[in-house]
Amino acid sequence: MEDQDILLKFRDPASRNLAFNQLVRKYQSKVYWHVRKMVVDHDDADDLTQEVFIKVWKHLENFRQDASLYTWIYRIATNECLNLLASKRRKFFLPLNDVGAELTQKLEADEQLAGDEVELKLQKAILRLPDKQRLVFNLRYYDEMPYEQMAEVTGTSVGALKASYHHAVKKIEQYVNEASD
Amino acid sequence: MKTPFRLDEHPRRPQPPLAPPAADFFDKLPLRVMQRVRPAADADAAPAWGWLAALSAPLRTALASVVVLLTFVGSFWLASRPGSQPAVRPLSAAQALAAVPRAEAVQYLLSDAAPRLTLADLADTHVAERDLTADFLPGTDADIQAALDEQPSLDVYL
Repeated sequence: MEDQDILLKFRDPASRNLAFNQLVRKYQSKVYWHVRKMVVDHDDADDLTQEVFIKVWKHLENFRQDASLYTWIYRIATNECLNLLASKRRKFFLPLNDVGAELTQKLEADEQLAGDEVELKLQKAILRLPDKQRLVFNLRYYDEMPYEQMAEVTGTSVGALKASYHHAVKKIEQYVNEASD
Repeated sequence: MKTPFRLDEHPRRPQPPLAPPAADFFDKLPLRVMQRVRPAADADAAPAWGWLAALSAPLRTALASVVVLLTFVGSFWLASRPGSQPAVRPLSAAQALAAVPRAEAVQYLLSDAAPRLTLADLADTHVAERDLTADFLPGTDADIQAALDEQPSLDVYL
C-alpha cells in the first residue's frame, strides 16, 4: 500500500486501525534495524521500535507531509534512540565513552560476530563514535541514505553531515589499524 | 608488511552482523503495537466526559462540590438580575373594572349573585383612589362650592 493511501485511510476512523497496521508492517523492519544499530541490544531495540510506532500513531494525524512518511518515521526513531542513550548516561552517571563500552560488551556477546576479527574491530570502532556521529555513519554506510534525506532526518546541513561522515570513517580506520598492531 | 585497513575496501554489509530477531518477531510486532495503541484509540472514541472517570475520587468529589456551588451562585445571579422576572403590575380598581366587559357586568348586577350593599358595607369600604368619586358626582368643583355657599351658615355651624 502506498504511503498516500495509508494516510488517507488513517484519517477515516473506520479504516484507521487497518491503515496503521499496514504502516507498521511496511516500516517495522527498517525502523527495527535502524534502532538496533544504535542500541545493539535486541530487547532495547524491540521496546524502542514499539515506542516509535506509538508516537507515529499519536502524531500521524498532524503529519503535514513536508517530508516523506519514511523520513518522518526515521526522524522519530532517531530521536527515540538518542533520547534512550542520553537517558542511560544520566541514569548511570556515565561519561560518553562508557555507553560505547556497554554496547561493545553486548556486541561481543553476539554470536554472529564470533570468528570474524576484522568485522568485530570495525563494529567496536563504530560503537566508539559519539552517538550523533554514529547515527550519521549508520545512515550513510549501511542504509546508503542520500545526504539530503539525512539532512531531513537529523536536522543538520548536508555539508556538516559530509564532514561528520568523513571524520567518522577516519576515526574507524585509525581504530582498526591501531587495534591490529 | 600489513596493509592498512580501509573502509571502502572492506566488504560492505547491508547491516551490522548482529543476531537477527526471532523468526516470527516481525509477524507479531504489528499485533503488539496495535495492542498498545488500542487503549488510546478507545480513549479517542470515548465521550468527552471520559476524562472525569480518570480523576481520583477526592478530586471528583471536590469537582462535584464546586459544580453544585456554581449552580447556586448562577441561579442566584440569574434571579437577581433586573428584568429577569416578568414585572407584575397591580391593576388599579378602575382598570380592573374597565377590563370587565360591560354586558358581563350588567348581567352580574342583575343576577342574584350580586351581594346587596348595606350602609355598613359602605362604611367599611376603603377607597384607595380618592379621585374615584369625581367620576360619580355629577357636579363640578364650582357647582359644589356654589351649593355649599347657598347653605345657611346657621345650618352648618349648629
